[in-house]
Amino acid sequence: MERKQSFSRRFFLKTTSFAGALALIPPKAKALYTELKQRLIPTKEIMPLTVTINKKAYEVKADSRTTLLDLLRENLHLTGTKKGCDHGQCGACTVHIDGQRVLSCLTLAVMTTGKNVTTIEGLADGDKLHPMQQAFIECDGFQCGYCTPGQIMSAVACVNEGHTRSVAEIKEFMSGNLCRCGAYNGIVESIQKVAI
Amino acid sequence: MKNIDSYTHTRGESIYLDDVPLTQGTLFGAIFGSPAAHGKIKKLDLSAAMASEGVVRIFTWKDIPGVNQIGGIVPDEPLFAEDIVDFNGMPVAFVVATSVEHAQAAIKKIIIEIDPLTVVTDPRVARQNNSLIVPPRTFRLGDSDAAFKDCVHVVEGIAETNGQEHLYIETQGAYALPQEHGAIKVISSTQGPTAVQRHMAKVLGVPMHQLEIDVTRLGGGFGGKEDQATSWAIFCALAAYHLKKPVKYSLHRMEDMRMTGKRNPYSSDFRIGLDAELNILAYEATFHQNAGAAADLSPAVLERTLFHCTNSYFIPNVTATAYSCRTNLPPNTAFRGFGGPQGMFVIEAAIAKAAEKIGVSAFEIQQKNLIKSGDEFPYGQLAVSEALPCWNRSLSLFDHAKKKKEIEKFNAENILYKKGMSMMPICFGISFTKILMNQARALVHVYMDGSVNVSTGAVEMGQGVNTKMLQVASTIFSIDPAKVKMNSTSTFRVANTSPSAASATADLNGKAVQIACNNILDRMKTVAADILKCSATEVSIKNEIVHVNDAATEISWDFLVLESYLRRISLSESGHYATPDIHFDASKEKGHPFAYHVYGTAITEVTVDCLRGTYKIDAVNVVHDFGTTMNALIDRGQIEGGIVQGIGWMTMEEIVYDEAGRLRSNTLSTYKVPDIYSVPQMLEIDFLETKNDNLAIFRSKAVGEPPLMYGIGTFFALRNAVKAFNPKSSIGFSAPMTPEKVLMGLYDK
Ligand code: FES
Ligand code: FES
Repeated sequence: MERKQSFSRRFFLKTTSFAGALALIPPKAKALYTELKQRLIPTKEIMPLTVTINKKAYEVKADSRTTLLDLLRENLHLTGTKKGCDHGQCGACTVHIDGQRVLSCLTLAVMTTGKNVTTIEGLADGDKLHPMQQAFIECDGFQCGYCTPGQIMSAVACVNEGHTRSVAEIKEFMSGNLCRCGAYNGIVESIQKVAI
Repeated sequence: MKNIDSYTHTRGESIYLDDVPLTQGTLFGAIFGSPAAHGKIKKLDLSAAMASEGVVRIFTWKDIPGVNQIGGIVPDEPLFAEDIVDFNGMPVAFVVATSVEHAQAAIKKIIIEIDPLTVVTDPRVARQNNSLIVPPRTFRLGDSDAAFKDCVHVVEGIAETNGQEHLYIETQGAYALPQEHGAIKVISSTQGPTAVQRHMAKVLGVPMHQLEIDVTRLGGGFGGKEDQATSWAIFCALAAYHLKKPVKYSLHRMEDMRMTGKRNPYSSDFRIGLDAELNILAYEATFHQNAGAAADLSPAVLERTLFHCTNSYFIPNVTATAYSCRTNLPPNTAFRGFGGPQGMFVIEAAIAKAAEKIGVSAFEIQQKNLIKSGDEFPYGQLAVSEALPCWNRSLSLFDHAKKKKEIEKFNAENILYKKGMSMMPICFGISFTKILMNQARALVHVYMDGSVNVSTGAVEMGQGVNTKMLQVASTIFSIDPAKVKMNSTSTFRVANTSPSAASATADLNGKAVQIACNNILDRMKTVAADILKCSATEVSIKNEIVHVNDAATEISWDFLVLESYLRRISLSESGHYATPDIHFDASKEKGHPFAYHVYGTAITEVTVDCLRGTYKIDAVNVVHDFGTTMNALIDRGQIEGGIVQGIGWMTMEEIVYDEAGRLRSNTLSTYKVPDIYSVPQMLEIDFLETKNDNLAIFRSKAVGEPPLMYGIGTFFALRNAVKAFNPKSSIGFSAPMTPEKVLMGLYDK
């Protein structure tokens, strides 16, 4: 059980990307690969999961292959966290686990057992916005808003990590979050505002 | 005024397509796209997929009750491939299953055999094969043949721009919900709800009134969801039609990148002629547009390339011809600028090349030839020009002369780093170039408690159009913005809409809101006049208080609304607006197609690392003609975002198709878009307030597309830096200017 939990999504991607090279591989090796793949990739297994999300305890059953992102969006209907690529390349799905930012599309749901997850929905205190949410409004840190939950979760972590000593540093630690609308200046300003 | 979605955006409470709560029994679709770019389908075996777990049904063209056709301008695009596939990813079958996973798993079990046909990806090859989407078009002014004979300098060359992936962070998708009496409601991530409705009606063979297309907002569009959003909505509707169950399909990023068209790549030839004083006397351009496998919007994009082929310059003798070339790529489409940027790039390349040959700076040629009021564009419209004010103000405001000296000094003192600078004036016409599309409607209801509800045909996609619409209503009524609510965009509330595109959305829909509000207000004023025993012309409303001859009365907005209701006065109105005074005769290629033009100038500075070929963008400083902005905050965001997207197109966004027509840049790891580092270190925007009367809403000029073209300046600044390092470099005019190209240019012999 322990072992299976440690398979990350990245691992799947790596194995599947071998498939492209398959055409060049002799049939014997191909068979070996297929067998190996079957043994390595865990099959569907429904697992119990106890996790705290936005200060609320959840006991759910989840497919061992479900990502945290899908658990949040599909199972728990917490749709504030967005899916932009599902491959760890855009940052739209950023959430916090025990205060650390992670890409929820690269995190298996079962890995969060016993942990505290915070999503964009858990940031404000009732009607009172988190200072970063307020700053994004004041500094115009968005246009279409689709990347915004991820940006804000990353931005909060960026401040907590203390990576705000210069614009360059902010940029470095926010570079995993894409914004196609190009609201980057507003995002940097928002972080500077909260960091002071 | 802040974006009205600020609060929900920052709390993760804004609803996009993929966030809509699912209705019980919802099924999930996925498209099986052709694995080959061109060929004849020999065999399609769905049996294994059909037997796959969770699969409910698989649809192909055979299941279409109406016509298998979604082409908007030219009917050349089947929804599903029948026997021929024209591009890799072309929809062949739509699998519907009980879960996304099951649908995706079933797709892998579909067996298809295709007899390959020749794959063409190069537009010039397509032109040789006479494989054109529409007949070529030519815009003509004066007589360029004759004028070239008088030129002292004649320069010719080739300029190329690659495509651009839209990469809206929200992928395409739709959710179809069957309603009673055979109606279907489709929640769609589209910029053009009416286009979706119209094509869906034809495919399903039902009247348009059965189909409600509803859009809350998009997570970015940029033109990519104008025509390209249609097919996904129809697949879902088709399945819902047959199965009587809700069906949803939200594309995975890789599906979206593979199956959707992008900005049209262009390969163009130019010839430019100048006299001894550097006046451009003649210009010829031949544009080869890579349209992809179907027309989509390419003919309209092509037209705008011609409209903007002389950018911000007056050239008395012009011959510009454009070919829309059919290739085996996904049908290319609208993207912010809509062919305009592609045309502007070519004239800027021509000027840069001429400058090099003559031995002057491009700056001098640009400055000398800026268009003035009264000058004629190649399509016959006379300019009301702000080109010079923008240009001159940018020079003084951003200290151009001093910067130039500094850069020269820097380049003299440094070997391994070189700086480059460029000027990029822009001129962009506002209106749909298809005249009939310049109309809009808005539906305004004032409820008896004084609150107001506004519906328009505008789709909110981050451009802040709903905020502007709300501002229009609250300004006309003079009431607290909190009293106004914007509705989602639905074809059942507002019919026959034009897509949210051409930068014209706020103007067209805003004017319709204005008209509707004014009509309601006029009726309410008559009621007020009756109560106050005065004439209606003496009545006005200010901050929710009724005034007579500018003196406040005791009557409030709320009271007057209720009183009007009690007197059985209509408090609802549908406003209709059609842009006046615009016309265009395509048989002569002359007319007055634009309501007005937007002008601006950008000065771009870059530094190139001459060892590595990498670069950074030091500054993009802009003077932009806003007219009289009605929302500076939103407009600034549009300019910044447009510039960043333009820089992306010109520098790092490289679409790669292999010879077999397969997209190789098919994820975010192989296709790079601007990240937070790509923003210029300095980005200043100066608001040029112009007072010329224009047809913009509240005289606040359109701002969606024009700023993208400032990004073109980055290409030329980089090229100048390369030339500063290696004056002999034969670095050409092929965008994007990736670090690889810079490096090759630096060490070119
Ligand atoms: S959705 Fe997770 S990084 Fe893009
Ligand atoms: S606000 Fe649209 S992607 Fe960032």
